[in-house]
Amino acid sequence: MRRLLPLLLTTSFRLAVWCLLTADLSRLNLLIGLVVALLLPRAHSRPLPLRALLRALGRSLLAVPQAYLEALRLIFGPEPVEAEISESATEGSIPLLVFLDVFRITLTPFTIVLGLEDGGRRYRIHAMKPGPRHGGQTP
Amino acid sequence: MTLASFADHASLLLLGAGLLFWFWGTWPLLESRTYLSKLHALSVADTLGSTLMLLGLLLRIPGQWPLLVLALVALILWNTIFGYVLANCWLDSRREPKP
Repeated sequence: MRRLLPLLLTTSFRLAVWCLLTADLSRLNLLIGLVVALLLPRAHSRPLPLRALLRALGRSLLAVPQAYLEALRLIFGPEPVEAEISESATEGSIPLLVFLDVFRITLTPFTIVLGLEDGGRRYRIHAMKPGPRHGGQTP
Repeated sequence: MTLASFADHASLLLLGAGLLFWFWGTWPLLESRTYLSKLHALSVADTLGSTLMLLGLLLRIPGQWPLLVLALVALILWNTIFGYVLANCWLDSRREPKP
């Protein structure tokens, strides 16, 4: 199952894009889409742990509402301060999970992944941290 | 209020909010800020603003949902990863030894 998962994922993703592009769910069109999805070249893939993939997908989806909250804080909040931080990768050896991590971190306006460091075990992140509030006259 | 007029108002609201995000995120490009802080602002404009606009369009022309959903997914993925590519290129250019 772990070996079959990358093939299933790429094929179903390509088929879904084909269906959205053609907006046609007839049997013939589905068959053409399936053939195209299987014929397109595939990258050499490693076995994929399903649990880690589902967790990464869930966290990526949760990043969307979080991104809007951060955008509002960036617009209405105090002037943010720039900083460089680093975060450990969940699974540095599997390209799809690294992609989902980079997507999740970069989608939110406070953080952008600059690159991988430490042999792919950590992400180097540029962050905009919310600055101190300019309230009152205290120095 | 009927459902159609509610969708109409909601889509106007989403399009307006998207336009606001666009202007807020594009304005810093003209200022003298650091490259990366401009990228942070651009992710608000490009990704989040355009997403709001596409959601507004989705309410306005629901008949075209397959293409709009495709655009939505492509836009979120492409913009976000392009932001990472730009940031990564900036890091590489900083690492190169100065002549």
